[in-house]
Amino acid sequence: MSDHKPQAESTAPELHGILAEYDTPDQLVSASKKVRDAGFEKWDTYSPFPVHGIDAAMGIKMTVLPWITLCAGITGLGSAILMQWWMNAYDYPWLISGKPTWSIPANVPIMFELTVLFSAITTLVGMLMLNGLPHPSHPLDLVKRFGRVTDDKFFLLIQAADAKFDEQDTRALIDGTHPVAVENVLEDRVTPDNFPPGLIYGLIIVTCAAVVPLALAVKARHSKSDKPRIHIIQDMDAQPKYKAQRENPIFADGRADREALPGTVAVGHLNEDDHFYRGRAGGSWARTFPAQVELNDETMARGKVRFGIYCTPCHGQGGLGDGMVHKRADALAQGGWIQPTNMTQEYVRNQPVGELFNSITNGVRNMPGYGSQIPSEDRWAIIMYVRALQRSQAGTLNDVPESERGSLK
Amino acid sequence: MAAASDFNPFQSPPKGDNMFAQITDNVTRIMEAPKPPRAWYIAFGIALSMLTMFLGSITWAAWNGIGVWGNMMPVAWAFPIVNFVFWIGIGHAGTLISAILFLLRQNWRTAINRFAEAMTIFAVMCAGIFPGVHIGRPWLPYYMMPIPNQMGMWPQYRSPLEWDIFAVSTYATVSILFWYMGMIPDFATFRDRSTSTAKRIAYGIVAMGWRGSSRQWHRYERAYLILAALATPLVLSVHSVVSFDFATAQLPGWHATIFPPYFVAGAIFGGFAMVVTLAVPARQFFGLKRIITIRHLELMAKVMIATGLMVGYAYGMEFFISWYGGSSYEGFTFVNRLFGPYAWAYWTMISCNVIFPQLFWFKKVRTNVWAILIIGMIVNVGMWFERFVIICTSLTRDFLPSSWGYFVPTKFDFMTLGGSFGLFFTLFLLFCRYLPMVAMSEVKAFSPPGGHARPHLDHGHDDAAHAHAQP
Amino acid sequence: MATEKGKQDAGKSPKKSAEKASSGAGGSGSSGGGKGSGGSGPDYPNDNIRLGAAGQSLFTKAAGLGAIGLAAAVALGSMEGDGFRRFSLSYLTAFMWVLALGLGALFWVILQNLVNAHWSIVLRRVGELLASQAPLLAVLALPIVVPVFMGHSSIYVWSDAHAVEANHALHKKAAYLNSSFFLVRFIVYFGFWTLIARYYLNSSLAQDSSKDGSGIMAKMRAVAGPAMIFWALTMTFCSIDLLMALDPLWFSTIFGVYYLASCVLGINSFLALTAMWLHKRGILLKSVTTEHFHDLGKMMFAFTVFWAYIGFSQFMLIWYANIPEETGWFKERFVGGWCGGWGMLSATLLFGHFVIPFFGLLSRHIKRRRPTLAFWAVWQLLMIYLDMYWLVMPNTHAESPPFALIDVACLVGVLGVFIAGAAMRAKTLNLMPTNDPRLPKSLAFENL
Repeated sequence: MSDHKPQAESTAPELHGILAEYDTPDQLVSASKKVRDAGFEKWDTYSPFPVHGIDAAMGIKMTVLPWITLCAGITGLGSAILMQWWMNAYDYPWLISGKPTWSIPANVPIMFELTVLFSAITTLVGMLMLNGLPHPSHPLDLVKRFGRVTDDKFFLLIQAADAKFDEQDTRALIDGTHPVAVENVLEDRVTPDNFPPGLIYGLIIVTCAAVVPLALAVKARHSKSDKPRIHIIQDMDAQPKYKAQRENPIFADGRADREALPGTVAVGHLNEDDHFYRGRAGGSWARTFPAQVELNDETMARGKVRFGIYCTPCHGQGGLGDGMVHKRADALAQGGWIQPTNMTQEYVRNQPVGELFNSITNGVRNMPGYGSQIPSEDRWAIIMYVRALQRSQAGTLNDVPESERGSLK
Repeated sequence: MAAASDFNPFQSPPKGDNMFAQITDNVTRIMEAPKPPRAWYIAFGIALSMLTMFLGSITWAAWNGIGVWGNMMPVAWAFPIVNFVFWIGIGHAGTLISAILFLLRQNWRTAINRFAEAMTIFAVMCAGIFPGVHIGRPWLPYYMMPIPNQMGMWPQYRSPLEWDIFAVSTYATVSILFWYMGMIPDFATFRDRSTSTAKRIAYGIVAMGWRGSSRQWHRYERAYLILAALATPLVLSVHSVVSFDFATAQLPGWHATIFPPYFVAGAIFGGFAMVVTLAVPARQFFGLKRIITIRHLELMAKVMIATGLMVGYAYGMEFFISWYGGSSYEGFTFVNRLFGPYAWAYWTMISCNVIFPQLFWFKKVRTNVWAILIIGMIVNVGMWFERFVIICTSLTRDFLPSSWGYFVPTKFDFMTLGGSFGLFFTLFLLFCRYLPMVAMSEVKAFSPPGGHARPHLDHGHDDAAHAHAQP
Repeated sequence: MATEKGKQDAGKSPKKSAEKASSGAGGSGSSGGGKGSGGSGPDYPNDNIRLGAAGQSLFTKAAGLGAIGLAAAVALGSMEGDGFRRFSLSYLTAFMWVLALGLGALFWVILQNLVNAHWSIVLRRVGELLASQAPLLAVLALPIVVPVFMGHSSIYVWSDAHAVEANHALHKKAAYLNSSFFLVRFIVYFGFWTLIARYYLNSSLAQDSSKDGSGIMAKMRAVAGPAMIFWALTMTFCSIDLLMALDPLWFSTIFGVYYLASCVLGINSFLALTAMWLHKRGILLKSVTTEHFHDLGKMMFAFTVFWAYIGFSQFMLIWYANIPEETGWFKERFVGGWCGGWGMLSATLLFGHFVIPFFGLLSRHIKRRRPTLAFWAVWQLLMIYLDMYWLVMPNTHAESPPFALIDVACLVGVLGVFIAGAAMRAKTLNLMPTNDPRLPKSLAFENL
């Protein structure tokens, strides 16, 4: 038995407790039983690994950790259900692959993962907190032989703070457990004062520096700027390609747009039929509809729909030149606006269908050409409908069936 | 306390006057040694250059777009996803050893669990990179996290790829927690044995003031048990979720209900192959032959044959049901695997995964270090090809013959795959040098008490420690 | 060198331990352990390991109940007037439930040998006795399989050659689903189970009186590997033949694993109940301790979760892909929503087979107390029966589960015969392998 005196007697620090050292876990267990039976409360044993049977020998009660984990797990499960419901079924409902917006079978994997994640983090953090870790400084750190607790030795410490502690009696009790060595442990008066000031300043500087990016982000969110946002990642904004009307050094003429070679026709653009595609017949405007256009109710209905889409905004529902665009322009009264043609006027009525076709295809005066937007068939259908509109405005009594004439008078 | 310079740390027998001290010496001298062995430097140099290649090829792909790889319709997944599933699978053995074998009271695990866990974490890191670069814009993966964003959109939780995000990140987090928690007592040992102040502070911070109090050990053990119980279903779920990526689809060869357990078994199979691939050199170079014994390698070989047969069972069931189910597309896919353009990959997979591991039925093979190492490497190759076969044979020839194709990898595919090993080995070699490679406290807990011969106490003792006692 | 080492291992095994708990037992429980190195004679505490009179009375009761149950089932079945179709379905449900116990027992025995488990030695003989009822199960299977051989089963459409000709899909499967190949498979399944179960029971009995306990132990371990492979294959295809082929158009690659989950959960529950029954009669009272019940409880918990995992994998993948030929099978089982018809049974399985017992079995206190463990064991066995019902019945009863007295009669009948068979075999035997070198570890086993 070694008999160590307190190490720094001159400063006379308080006694923290008595430390006993053992060689084997079994000695530790039997010593623990004696200390437990003596009724001590503020004492502990220390070992390099969990000693089997020490819990019972020391009378350690079962930890509440499993319950904490269970609560965390249920929280995780609930969070996962709520998150998936709120994001997919409530805040941003989006139909995909025919599944209900809130698809529970598809939500199970994430429910499980979050349950485990919450439980696991809580278990580790809970274990550390219940154990009072991190615990940087302890009076035992001053005992040199205690360094071997993480290697191969077993220790038992009875604290002086325990109500039953008496330096002589406790010492006798410990000696009775046949320790390899016994030592008085003194309160640590040294370490707290020696906490390196450089470390404190360092921590303060790091903390302040850590706030800077956060502050910048907050500022950015609450201030306005005329400048375009910083564009670090270009994605596909700058693509190595030639745009229309730009220069292209590859070709001698420097044009990016290339013209078709002479004598070539793009696929589907042959359009040989002058009558159908250009409204020309026999060297002048065609006076009849081309053979491809069937003059029936179906074509008329088609023409009405196309007219409604393309023509009414300017020319109006009746072709009188009073469409919404005109009304709006008129109301603004900014000058320079020329009213769209009233297509029921006589001169328009007298134009051959071929000329009307040309007007739609290539435009006339202010009116742009619609050839690229409206297929030929539809242009002819529109003309058929226009002819009907013109007829309706230029009707005479003779056009009305005799049986109805009476009602007009 | 033994000074680090007292002995040639990689050659001399362990010091210490009892069993526990010997274990401590055996493990800590790696960290305490002034210099690691030359083999470590050579390996680290190779790993570092491979890592450089990895970073280079990834940067190249990010800069130019993923067209630098061979991915092209119809095989849009190709190498990046093959590598992702491969690495994720490697990770599973670590969790199996640390959690499932713990619950099954297989105490031989204590010798290998620490570095198997490290392997898990590094493998998951390698795995996580691949989907990240595969999306083509590696700066946008935050779209997949539930973060409020300027688009006012939320992730789509009905997608298996979204499940992957949660499964893999949970797995990585929990693995790191589990690993770190296991190391706390060992960090304390390192702290108490450190001779330099810098090391003492560094290990002291990560040890969080652990002093081995029994009251703390009580909660620590309970927490360890709970984490093991949580990690066990987690490890099953992770590869199951990865398998859902395939199995929820309607593509022939992907849609099979057995995929989840089949993937898990395959992951453990491939993971153990990686553990032996690492364990054999590690025990050779770091003098851990007394802790990682032949018996440990033999047991791992047995686990490999068991999981290999499970994988074989799944291959068989897929084939049987593809015929029994009566769908001509399914039937064609499997015939195509056998005899189609990728038959070479299929037969590589079958011979590596099903045929070669059968050698483990012989005890002579199971107890031969080099045989184990070679078969382990063969299985690694086979498991990589398993994922390749699943992804490529199904995608190249699906329902519509007009959209069939053939995937040819480019040199960047190979550089990325090879480079990922560089990342893995760089991290692993750093771990071997600076962290406790063996869970000292756990090995000690299963050692004969006191290290002095105490025959009157019939404490069961672990085989590792048993071998240790009579070198 | 290697083989020498192997022998050494086997010889030393009583000293070696893979059990953490026993490592620190402190000597009290394992007082007898450690010195018995193979063949040094029985080393178990003074315990009653014979069934004795209780066996005779159990046999009489079980056989009587079984006979009454079967007779009642046949009578009720003939009253249905549907060519014993309803009877066949009920009988199949009950049979698959009991088969899960028998196959589970065989699996359990092979597994314990395969992994060289120590904790389970005290219970091993009970498992072996249950597994050895394989020939009896083959006889019990006859009412289902004989009509298939004859080509006019009322429940398996594919046994009828005319129906197969008329249906293209069935015609394509006829190479597998036909009466004569089915006969071959039936013989292979039950033949293999009989052989391997007999081997294990006989070896184990031989070990009791042998001088070379560890030698026999090593042989049993060596057989376990191949036996497990064949067990897995036969169990899978048997479940496909008897359950999945009820709806011959449906298929699922995981089906064998799904049935395996029921086998393992079933046998762990049933072993716990059997051990409690033996305890009530003062048998194995000192050998099977709370620790062993705790372990059985853990296995029940694990396989409750495993069942849910496999069941979810099967359901979710089919639900998600939504392919008509697969999804119809589940649609049949969700008829009636959550609160009626088959949907209610599906919901009952979800909550009763997984959610409720999951929380019920979570706590170690519940697993360590006999009454609570017994409650959950009975509960889970009931749930496995409902699971079998859920697998079998919706193919023919589209609306809702047709629960009737005939189901109970079939269940009592088949289970009674099964227990009677086991009791008869057990009457004259030791209920514990007394000479296994690992026995001391098992007796002294302590959980974490």
